[in-house]
Amino acid sequence: MSGVSEGTVAAPAAAVPPAARTRGLRKVYRGTVAVDSVDLEVPTGAVLGMLGPNGSGKTTTIRMLLGLVTPTAGEVELLGQKMPDGAALALPEVGALVEGPGFHPFLSGRENLMRVAAAEPLLASARIPGAVADALERVGLTRAAGRRYRGYSLGMKQRLGLASALLVPRRFVILDEPTNGLDPAGTREVRAVIADLHAAGTTVLVSSHLLAEVEATCTHVAVLNQGTVVAQGELAALLEAGSANLLVTTPEVTRAVEALRDHRIPARAVPDGLRVDLTATTAPQVVETLVHAGVPVHEVRRQRTGLEDLFARLTEDTNVIEDAALDDLATLIPEDAR
Amino acid sequence: MTAMTVPAPLTARRAPLPRLMRSELRMMLRRPRTLIGLGLLALVPVVAGIGIAIATDANSDEPMGQGLETLVAGNGLLLPVFALVVSLNMLLPLTGAMLAADALAGETAHGTLRNLLTAPVGRARLLAVKAFGVATVSLLATLLMAVTGTIAGILLLGGEGMLTSSGTQLPFLDGVGRVLLTVVLVTVQVWALAAVALAVSAWTEHPLIVVVVSLGLVIVSGVLSVIPALDWLDPVLITTSWQSVSDVVRDPLPTGSITEGLLRAACYIVIGYSLALSRILTRDG
Amino acid sequence: MNRKRTALAVAAAGTATGVVGLVLIASPAGAGEAPPALPDISAEALVQSVLDADAPAMAGAVELRNDLGLPLPGLPQGKPGEDVARIYADGQGRARLSLDEGGSERTIVHDGSTTWIWNSATRSVQKLEGGPDEERAERMADPATAARDFVALMQKDSTVTVDGTARVADRPAYQLVLTPKPTERTLLREVRIAVDSETRLPLRLDVLANGQAEPALRVGFTEFATGAQDAGLFSFTPPAGAKVTEGERGERPSKQERTDALEGLDLKHVGEGWDTVLTGKLPADALTRQAPENGRGDRGPATGLDLLKQVGKEVSGPFGSGYVVTTKVGTALVTTDGRVALGAVPQQVLVDALGQK
Repeated sequence: MSGVSEGTVAAPAAAVPPAARTRGLRKVYRGTVAVDSVDLEVPTGAVLGMLGPNGSGKTTTIRMLLGLVTPTAGEVELLGQKMPDGAALALPEVGALVEGPGFHPFLSGRENLMRVAAAEPLLASARIPGAVADALERVGLTRAAGRRYRGYSLGMKQRLGLASALLVPRRFVILDEPTNGLDPAGTREVRAVIADLHAAGTTVLVSSHLLAEVEATCTHVAVLNQGTVVAQGELAALLEAGSANLLVTTPEVTRAVEALRDHRIPARAVPDGLRVDLTATTAPQVVETLVHAGVPVHEVRRQRTGLEDLFARLTEDTNVIEDAALDDLATLIPEDAR
Repeated sequence: MTAMTVPAPLTARRAPLPRLMRSELRMMLRRPRTLIGLGLLALVPVVAGIGIAIATDANSDEPMGQGLETLVAGNGLLLPVFALVVSLNMLLPLTGAMLAADALAGETAHGTLRNLLTAPVGRARLLAVKAFGVATVSLLATLLMAVTGTIAGILLLGGEGMLTSSGTQLPFLDGVGRVLLTVVLVTVQVWALAAVALAVSAWTEHPLIVVVVSLGLVIVSGVLSVIPALDWLDPVLITTSWQSVSDVVRDPLPTGSITEGLLRAACYIVIGYSLALSRILTRDG
Repeated sequence: MNRKRTALAVAAAGTATGVVGLVLIASPAGAGEAPPALPDISAEALVQSVLDADAPAMAGAVELRNDLGLPLPGLPQGKPGEDVARIYADGQGRARLSLDEGGSERTIVHDGSTTWIWNSATRSVQKLEGGPDEERAERMADPATAARDFVALMQKDSTVTVDGTARVADRPAYQLVLTPKPTERTLLREVRIAVDSETRLPLRLDVLANGQAEPALRVGFTEFATGAQDAGLFSFTPPAGAKVTEGERGERPSKQERTDALEGLDLKHVGEGWDTVLTGKLPADALTRQAPENGRGDRGPATGLDLLKQVGKEVSGPFGSGYVVTTKVGTALVTTDGRVALGAVPQQVLVDALGQK
């Protein structure tokens, strides 16, 4: 109803099946629940940013999407194939960079890519050298291609990982923390690559713990915390969603709250002031009411938007959010957006 | 589900197996550890040959050492056999275990196995490729030892043909045949240990654990085989066949013990690879 | 979880196959099979046919297992499933015996007129003119000879019966059982000899001690095939560089020490049949001299007396004092003044035998 997953760039959701979908996904590692009841949907053609602090289950979810890990419970569908059993059908068209780049330190960048290319089902043997050269070019590693991987900087390693995901034209590319260790220029290049992929109609799933990165590149967002998806939908919708709040700084909190209540405006005392819910009212109205009541107003500011607020809390202080955030989330994000 | 028709038909295409095997071998033979190991193994017969040549010069009357060693002096073709049989006690099993450790556990630790799994290389095929790599490089190691051993033997120790432990003199070509037979027998025994090591390798991501467990198996088997009360266990122990490899220098060839050694190794190979396959099918990559 | 089930099935099937294979390798051929059906034969006729049988042209592998409770010096230590010797014969008196002595090999070739004994440990060849005069250990390694000697020797003091059939070296065989007569004072319960139904050659000799289910000693063929053998097997050319000694009888460089010791023993048989006791006298320094074998150099001095104290039990009686060593099939008594008695008998019989001197 909220239109969060509708109106995507390509086509109505009903016609094109999602590039990936999970239902009730759960993974338990030796008694520790890594991921629980994850219902994720990656619409075809979207660039989905998977946000979440470290340990929120992003990588585990991605590993289950790729069939690397068998879920304890739940279902995974990748390009219409049940994973992990459909891996042979789905994975050739999926490029992935998971858990950082993994290459042989004693081989050069090119040799490492040749080895990955040899395993790519969609690459004919004759096309391997060309595909490797193209992928190296695309991530700007051509000059360093002959050097041993051992001597690569973190950024170069990351680029090589990206190159291996781009060896073959893909329908779906999954990038786990692709900008890790990259300098600002490298980050921009990764964004450009993602934009290219998006333009070419490739579905992209990018995981990150940086909101800025997601904001810059993604059409869709899914937020994970403590092993569950706490929010997902179109980026724009999520950014707008959620009731905005007004933070008012005043020394006379009790009088302020009473004054607002008299006008049926919900408000809550917070340190140094109060927080006013703006769902049923507007900021000027609040200020007017307070001034009329003779409450000294030192400062009035709008609280950050839904996603921003949510994600800032997730990433800035994981401990504090543990109890509070999840409760707040229920009110912050419209039910049908999740 | 019915509405979930996929736009482009997905077909299960696979990278050709020979291409994967070539790639695997190329990678293994670029790994510095493999190369150092092969180099050291190739040196073993040379060092043994020099040692025996010097010792023989010093007191040419008394045959020294025990077992095969007594026969090697002045009997160059026996040097590769001697070196292979001696190395089968520790060096070659260590090599096999190391190769197997790097094949799965090491690649998991480096994160390189993921690249293959997401390519995707099917899990059973992945094991086949790994098994091929380990088996080929083990064979290469023993062949290399046979070659350096034969050359060192002829140059340092001389001798015509091969003096067998039964006191007969084999012509040169028959002697070479015995050397090649030794290569086959020793290699199959290394394969057996490597199969078990590969099963361990599928279970862990610490290559060192694989080496420790494999050598532990060798040592425990060795200890069990010398406890008289546990003699009944002997035919089942992996090391039992290793001792009978030196039967290749008997004349006529005792085919019974040789076949038995091969069969025993085959049993270990079946056990090792089925455990490895079972684990690799279910393990989280 | 389809994949998990497949994986389990693979693991179970593969492991089971491998283990069954290993067990099959471990179990001797013919074990668990029903004994072959053979025409009945009387014990006398069987014994006679054994004594009359001609050695055919054959090739075989021999296993030796002893569970005596003590390693018997001079006998190769057998392990189950491990062949200690291979025998080839052309049926006309020419034979080749190849003894596996752990790291080394001893080959004995009798080419009709000359016996060659090759020892790979010393790379030496001993050349003996005339018929084969194999040492005890080597005779023991040929089950046919050992069993035949035994039957000839023991027939008189034993109850001889035929106890069904057995499959030995994959050949049907009669089981000839020699049980000591009640008057015999011995530790042995019976001796079983498996006689090949076709060639009437003893294929296996089992010595069973009182109260033991498993044979204390077993010498037998694990492989046995009749048929013409390669003539090359029965000739021997000393290899280049080998020491060749033209041997006189009794001059055995390879076993110099052991032979010397044997000759100084002053051996005597007391009694006959199952309770024969062998008595003798050790050389004066035998008990105090450092043990020639087992001397690993870094070990402390181990004299024969020390060794006896380790394995034996101190006893005293009319013979003075000494040590008695007990095994499943025999007993040995060594007195402190160097007298020795041994036999397949209880301790008291040894004491009596020493007293008879």
